[in-house]
Amino acid sequence: MRRFLKQNSLSIVFLLFFLGALTGQAIAGHADFNEQQARHGDPTMSLSRYVVSSEFGVDVMENWQSEYLQFSLLILGTVWLLQRGSPESKELDQAGRESDEQQKVGRYAQQNSPLWAKVGGIRRTIYENSLLLVMGMIWLGTWFAQSVTGLAQYNSERLDHQMDTVTWLGYLGKPDFWNRTLQNWQSEFLAVGSMAILAVYLRQRGSPNSKPVGSPHSSTGIEG
Amino acid sequence: MGCRVLLAALLVALPLAACGTGDRERDAAAVSEAFHAALERGDGQAACDELSEEAASKVEQQEKKPCEEAILGLELPKGGTAAVRRVDITSAYIGLGEGSADFLDEGPEGWKISATACEPTASSDQPYDCEVEG
Repeated sequence: MRRFLKQNSLSIVFLLFFLGALTGQAIAGHADFNEQQARHGDPTMSLSRYVVSSEFGVDVMENWQSEYLQFSLLILGTVWLLQRGSPESKELDQAGRESDEQQKVGRYAQQNSPLWAKVGGIRRTIYENSLLLVMGMIWLGTWFAQSVTGLAQYNSERLDHQMDTVTWLGYLGKPDFWNRTLQNWQSEFLAVGSMAILAVYLRQRGSPNSKPVGSPHSSTGIEG
Repeated sequence: MGCRVLLAALLVALPLAACGTGDRERDAAAVSEAFHAALERGDGQAACDELSEEAASKVEQQEKKPCEEAILGLELPKGGTAAVRRVDITSAYIGLGEGSADFLDEGPEGWKISATACEPTASSDQPYDCEVEG
C-alpha cells in the first residue's frame, strides 16, 4: 500500500489538490452567487442546487476546456516545434514524427511494447495518436459543455432583465462566450511559452521539467 | 483510468445539469396560469400570492392600495394558457397563448412572478415593456 502510494504520488496528490480546489470553488462560488442575487433582490440558491446548476458548470468548464486545449496543443506542437536550450523541446534534429525504429513500433517493437504498437494498420494509427486524441476529445467535450452551461447562465441573466433568450448558435456569436473562452486560452498559452523559455536559463534541481542544474543553456531536450 | 473516470463523470454531469427542466417549466407555467386565472375570477389575494415580494410591493406603490385590491384594477390579461415555456437556472419566461408574457424567478417558495403583462419591444436586445415589474 505504502509502495503504491509512493509510486503513484504525483497522480494522487494532484487528484487531492483538484478535489480540494473544486470543493473550495463550489463554496466560494455559491457564496458569491448568493451575494449577487441578494444585491439584485433575487432569491438565493442552496449549495446542493448550486453545484448542479449551469452557474457553477460554466465556471468549471471554461477552465477545464482551456487546460485540455493547452496540453493537446503542447503534445501536438512539440512533435514539430523546437526551442533551443529548452527541456520542453526535442533535440534540434529530431523534429517530426520520427522513424519506426526510434518510436519502437511494428518490427522495431520490444517484447513488452503495448500490443497496438506491435501491430500495423488502423490500430497502430489510433494508438500512435491516442494521447492527443483523448486529450483533444476531452477539450472539445468540455468546450461544448462550457457553451451549453454558458448559454443557460447568459439566458438566465437576460430573463432577469425581461429580455428574449438566445439560441445555442446565437450564443456562439456573443461576446460572453468568447470572453470566457479567450480569457482562459491566453493564460494557458502564456504559461506554456514562458515555461519553454524560462527552462532554458533556470533550473529546478531534481525536477524532470528542468535540465540538470549544471547543463549548459544551449543543450536542448535533456531532462534532469 | 483517470481519463475513463473523467469521461464517466462528464457523461453523468451533463444530463444531470439538464435534468428536471421539463418539470420546472411545468411548475413555472402552472404559477403563471394560476395568476391569470385568479385575475379572471376576481380573486386579488390569490393573484398577489403568485407575485414576488418586489412585484407585489411595486403594485402597492404604483396604485397606493393593498396588492389584492390594486392588482384587480390594472390592465392585466385575465385567464390565459402558457404557450411558450422556457427555464434557465432560476429564471423563467412564460408566453401566454393570448399574446403577452410573464417573467418568473425561482426561490425557496417556488416560482414567483417578477414581471407580468410584458410585450416585446422593437429590438430583441431591449427589455420587454411590462405592466408590472418587480
